[in-house]
Amino acid sequence: MSADKPVANPQVVLREEFDDWAVLFDPDTAEGFAVNPVGVLIWKELDGNHDIADIVRVVREKCENVPEDVETHCREFVDSLIRKGLVGTEVTHD
Amino acid sequence: MIEAGPQERARLMRTPQSVDIDITDRCNLRCKYCYFYTSPADVKTDLPLEEWLRFFEELNRCAVTEVTLAGGEPFIREDLKEILEGVIRNRMRFSILSNGTLITEDMARFLGSTPRCNYVQVSLDGSEPETHDSCRGKGTFEKAVAGLRLLQKHKVNVAVRVTIHRYNVRDLEATARFLLEDLGLSGFGTNSAGHMGLCQKNMEQVELTTAERELAMKTLLALNKKYGGRISASAGPLAEGRMWSRMERARRQGAAAFPEGGRLTGCGCPFSKISVRTDGVIVPCNMLSHIELGRINRDRLDDVWRNHSELWKMRDRRSIPLSRFEFCRGCPYLDYCTGNCPALAYSLLGVVDHPSPDGCLRKFLDEGGHLPEEELLEP
Ligand code: SF4
Ligand code: SF4
Repeated sequence: MSADKPVANPQVVLREEFDDWAVLFDPDTAEGFAVNPVGVLIWKELDGNHDIADIVRVVREKCENVPEDVETHCREFVDSLIRKGLVGTEVTHD
Repeated sequence: MIEAGPQERARLMRTPQSVDIDITDRCNLRCKYCYFYTSPADVKTDLPLEEWLRFFEELNRCAVTEVTLAGGEPFIREDLKEILEGVIRNRMRFSILSNGTLITEDMARFLGSTPRCNYVQVSLDGSEPETHDSCRGKGTFEKAVAGLRLLQKHKVNVAVRVTIHRYNVRDLEATARFLLEDLGLSGFGTNSAGHMGLCQKNMEQVELTTAERELAMKTLLALNKKYGGRISASAGPLAEGRMWSRMERARRQGAAAFPEGGRLTGCGCPFSKISVRTDGVIVPCNMLSHIELGRINRDRLDDVWRNHSELWKMRDRRSIPLSRFEFCRGCPYLDYCTGNCPALAYSLLGVVDHPSPDGCLRKFLDEGGHLPEEELLEP
């Protein structure tokens, strides 16, 4: 089995705001979650084609002052989105 | 005028968060105080379903999260279900403002089956047919209550709006009992007949006198105490009773100016929402339907939102000091006053950039009005 590739719930709305922060809005529950600019970057990678390693690569490429343990942060962030029902994972088989 | 600086402009939401849509010009009733008919919103044209569906796709791209459908009477549209399916397909939530009389079992079931419905607001103006029907027409009370019960049966979130006028101002206790105890609603909202649309023609019949306004204020505040804050208002006597009492307390104590006080800050809507008329013309608010900003499916909504000079004029209105107006000269409440609703200012005076006399505390007192006793007020 290969790594999970998270995929954003297509019903969830990303409302980007003036300062590059954004709100993820789940129209089924009316709940909104604030996300910072790095979170927005990650969200846009959650298309089912990228695993966490791919996402970490993008964050390292596009952000400054990326901490050593960025992978843990990315994983925690994606896990929190999964727990909120905003993201699912597609499991592929080799 | 002091205009919004680049910082304020840059801080505007990229797109509106919600859109108020007058989905039809048609209605089965002609309520005596309807703001819609004979107002600039009443353009006698309904757009076909396809135009709305196309527009919803644009709202989706703009990340708009909710629409409110009003009119006219939304449930008169034979294709309302298709319209709502379009809203849902495009990742939005919705609310519907209705007179309640055309809601069918089938429609209530549909509304109950989607998690996307914020609420259906049903207008109910009394505890019995006599008071409700006086302004809305014979038989409408029974039909509205039947519609409301259907919504309740299918677990749709119902919001009742009571419009207070001369015929029901003495029925408020019974109305609250009926709505909160008999029908078991968790709360209800109130406003009063405003000087717009058909109401302008029927003023003597519906508009509250100063004494009745005072009565409504005190009764609603007392009822709200009794029912633990289950009565709400963003306009009308209850909202005024609260706001004016805060202003009077601040004046007595010589308190510092309110953060929103002393300028025309009464309407914050152009910072988060926009409206569309039944003919697809984009306007700042359904009640300011004479200010045409563009047309759906022809002009880009995000462009209108960010760049239209009339919309910026509405936003920049917040910088206009009340001290500039002869109307407010020498007023002891100036530092605490927001100048109230611009649409009411327009309908009363023909100018948007002016405080609305309808929401003026000094005028209310000059006309012999008294504010509610302190013990009626929430802390
Ligand atoms: S103009 Fe008046 S009615 Fe319209 S949104 Fe503003 S306060 Fe409300
Ligand atoms: S005159 Fe009326 S509108 Fe003007 S500041 Fe006083 S209370 Fe407000």
